[in-house]
Amino acid sequence: MTGKGPRPGAWLLAAVVVLLVAPHVIPTFFVMLFIEIAIVALFATSFNLLMGFGGMVSFGHAAYFALGAYSAALLVKKVGAPMLLALAAGPVVAAAGALLFGLFIVRLTATYFAMLSLAFAQIVFTVIFKWTAFTGGDNGLLNIWPAAFLKSPPAYYYFTVTLVSASLWALHAVGDSPFGYALKAVRDNPRRARFIGVNVRRHQLVAFVISGFFSGLAGGLFAFFNGSVFPDFAYFNKSFEPLIVVLLGGVQSFFGPLAGAVGFKILETFIARQWPVYWPLVLGTVLIGVIVLLPQGFVGLLERRPWRSRPASAK
Amino acid sequence: MEIVTHFFPWITNGPLIAVQVMSGLSVGMFLFLVSVGMSLIFGVTRIVNLAHGSLYMVGAYLMVTLVDVLPDNALRFWIALLVAPIGVALLGGLIEVLLLRRIYRREPLMQLIVTFGLILIIGTLVLIVWGPDNKSVSRPDVLAGSVRIFGQPFPSYYLLVLALAPTMMVALWFIFYRTRWGMLIRAATVDREMLGALGVDVSTLYTQVFAFGSWLAGLAGALAAPTIAVALGMDGDVLINAFVVVVIGGLGSFAGSLISSLLVGELQSFGILIFPAISIVLLFALMAVVLIVRPWGLLGRPEDGH
Amino acid sequence: MPNTRRSALAAIVLLSVTLILLPALDRVAAQGKPIRIGEINSYSGVATVYTFPYKDGLEMALKEINDKGGVLGRPLEFIFRDDKLKPDEAVKAARELVLQEKVDYLAGCISSSVGLAISAYAKDAKVLYFATHCQTSRLTWDDGHKYIAHTTNNVNQYIRAIAKKAAVSPYKKWAHISPDYEYGQNVWEEFSSYLKQLKPDVQVVQQNWPKLGETDHSSYITALLQSGADAFFSSVWGAQEIAFVKQARPFGLLDKIKFYSASVGNPDELDPLGKEAPIGTVTTGFAWYDDGVQKLHPKLKDWVKKYAEWSKGKEPKLGASWGYASAYIIAEAIKRAHGTDTDKVIGALSEGFDMDFPWGKVIMRGCDQQAIPPQWTGVVKMNPQGRPVMGDVEETHGKDIVRSCDEVMQLRAAAALKKK
Repeated sequence: MTGKGPRPGAWLLAAVVVLLVAPHVIPTFFVMLFIEIAIVALFATSFNLLMGFGGMVSFGHAAYFALGAYSAALLVKKVGAPMLLALAAGPVVAAAGALLFGLFIVRLTATYFAMLSLAFAQIVFTVIFKWTAFTGGDNGLLNIWPAAFLKSPPAYYYFTVTLVSASLWALHAVGDSPFGYALKAVRDNPRRARFIGVNVRRHQLVAFVISGFFSGLAGGLFAFFNGSVFPDFAYFNKSFEPLIVVLLGGVQSFFGPLAGAVGFKILETFIARQWPVYWPLVLGTVLIGVIVLLPQGFVGLLERRPWRSRPASAK
Repeated sequence: MEIVTHFFPWITNGPLIAVQVMSGLSVGMFLFLVSVGMSLIFGVTRIVNLAHGSLYMVGAYLMVTLVDVLPDNALRFWIALLVAPIGVALLGGLIEVLLLRRIYRREPLMQLIVTFGLILIIGTLVLIVWGPDNKSVSRPDVLAGSVRIFGQPFPSYYLLVLALAPTMMVALWFIFYRTRWGMLIRAATVDREMLGALGVDVSTLYTQVFAFGSWLAGLAGALAAPTIAVALGMDGDVLINAFVVVVIGGLGSFAGSLISSLLVGELQSFGILIFPAISIVLLFALMAVVLIVRPWGLLGRPEDGH
Repeated sequence: MPNTRRSALAAIVLLSVTLILLPALDRVAAQGKPIRIGEINSYSGVATVYTFPYKDGLEMALKEINDKGGVLGRPLEFIFRDDKLKPDEAVKAARELVLQEKVDYLAGCISSSVGLAISAYAKDAKVLYFATHCQTSRLTWDDGHKYIAHTTNNVNQYIRAIAKKAAVSPYKKWAHISPDYEYGQNVWEEFSSYLKQLKPDVQVVQQNWPKLGETDHSSYITALLQSGADAFFSSVWGAQEIAFVKQARPFGLLDKIKFYSASVGNPDELDPLGKEAPIGTVTTGFAWYDDGVQKLHPKLKDWVKKYAEWSKGKEPKLGASWGYASAYIIAEAIKRAHGTDTDKVIGALSEGFDMDFPWGKVIMRGCDQQAIPPQWTGVVKMNPQGRPVMGDVEETHGKDIVRSCDEVMQLRAAAALKKK
């Protein structure tokens, strides 16, 4: 890479300093917003492991988010589990769900993959919604607060940012590993990958489970952040959230989802607040605008050649 | 036998079952009109039009306005029923020309998100234009009552629907298999590049197809309006159902849409009576099963999954 | 792809810096003079048919209060947020209002699950929350606590009013059709238990639980026709009830079985139905146009006129009266506390007070901080102008039917036990 500008290490250091200092400098509301952005970024990045790296688009990722959130919440409410234990359980249950559903889903391609993932997510939603005795139904489960030492916004902020950073680092490591390269090979040309000995299905399933795991962690973090869980955590609107975020940020880059999370939250917080009636209109227009005019998302804006769009894959 | 009649007390009631079956058929017919448009659009342009429910909604709202605006006479309903879908067809054509044309070369995901964005935009526009209040259209006087089927009352309006649907099916079949335009459409679903190479103006064809699919959605909405409330949110409800129908029947398959709409219609009718607690899940479970066992649906083609 | 990565990181830094700088651009919360109330409701999408009139009524009251000098000399200010009908959005908005805008109190809700979620947050954050439009009795009863007050009636009150009417009817065999979610279950529980209490020989012969937002009710209609019931009760509401009534008519259901509806008397359902309105249905609603009601409440007519001027020609819906009353009740509680200190206002609420509105007396009951207004039940009729309205309106005051303080305490104790 050309040596123009500060090295990435410097950017990273600056980012770390900013993140560490933030809660003491900015109003609490923005600390909360940062926490939310971190959670959304985690959800979107884990989603992008499937989409950007694996070439598989899931329309039902909310299911794993919800499984993570609800397992954490249920452990707290029904068994009185301590927060950290409940939070740890979330991604495990979500990964199990991803394994179960993934077994069926990865056998399909593209459109059908998306549709089956959606169908499973809607089933999860319906079960949560209707099983009122266990899940609280449409009233959800309330009073899921973090442990006392993590309750204050700055404390939860540090906790979340640390966990999310660690998760992103892990996801990045996965992407950079031989597994990650094999996955990209599968994405680019499954037939060729199979030819050179890559077990396509297994790689896709593993990616699916890893993605589900981190989505579940995002869900668990969100449950404690929100203080409550609701069935709409599994509804397809939630499934579109990582999709939109990844799109805005740029599918190609690992940090695209993070950029998209920041951008999306800014848009949402300031526009949806002022013009709630028009917010869906704005969001729809932005989405279409980004796809038609900015194929690489925000990240693409800063690229040297933003008009270079990915050629249509010959499938 | 006692166990069966205890749980399903209606099972020995023949007339009741007959009426239930016919209700299921009417529901199926509405679904057919909505989903066949979606299936058609996919078959030719390869776009899954998520905004199809929104077009349905616009059809219903246009129906409300037309009935309001036209002078009160016996023909009012029928004129509105004729005009409303045309309005939706125009809207569809506009969307295709201004927007969809730019994204045909893009990945399916991008296309899906564009149509998802359309849902948001059209939904808000409907709120702005028509306001938040619930609206309603009455059935035409001649069809407002009921007829007796095996002694059970059955709404006359549904007879219109039941009569219209086979008519539409025959008309669609005729269009697709006996006209040149229909032949071009069928050719486009198989190999659009070749079609272009043969000198056919494929992009105009696409516009026409999208407009026609929108017309079908608008007709479904206008036809359904007298049986439901015309209100915000009706786009989401119908989209989910249409999606399930299209998946089960097979994207791009016209006969598949027909069979699965009837199936889903009956399932919804009887599902409530047989499995009230899980009837919601039933639909998605069925969709999942079809996708697992036979992803291209009952009558779709395996290569359509690209 | 190092180029992409650098750009990505640059993008993130740029955006984050923007985010951090935004507080400076964002307007600073006005401290000091106005009393600020953060109102969270559903101002986009399907609920707007209710929340827009509610907001009109609330803002009308707000103007009146501020024109008369405000509350304790300070203007009352509402800051509105949209919850998109999602409880987690509502909690987010609540947090933002409390932490960023530094509001004195929270208010609002239309969906019961949103109300319960805000209530849980309010309890945790020790901020007083005035639940306004949502109806579940759990707000102040099962899940009640001192940081919540409910400024409009709850399900228990208006459902008992109609159950009372059902009890004096000759019908013994009842069926029902209710949407399968918290509100529908709550309503049926209230209706059936009170009806049985007043008329023990009543029998429930069939239960129907369509999903919320069901569009095709023909199977339920057929089932009802087979049920053998003399009368049936419905808590299906809004667009779903319009659809239900339209579908039921050609089947002749409403002629065969007497229909009791929790909400069809409201103009948002009767007006779209028009000629298809279910004449003869027993229901509840805000019958401001009824001569009998106007005789009982002489100030009502003027209020309606004022509302018409304020809302540019609209007629008041039930929600408008709730928005109006909520603003006044909040103001009154602050007045009685002689200040905005949360604990003092809670103290004022827990002592209870009465207020007179153009439609009658509303009691803010101290033991549970629950408002108790008058209730109207009537029968759907066509008025001389050919418009369906509620007729033969009877007024019952909520205080005669609502659960007693003792019963409420029992409910709370039972709920607390369940949580353990």
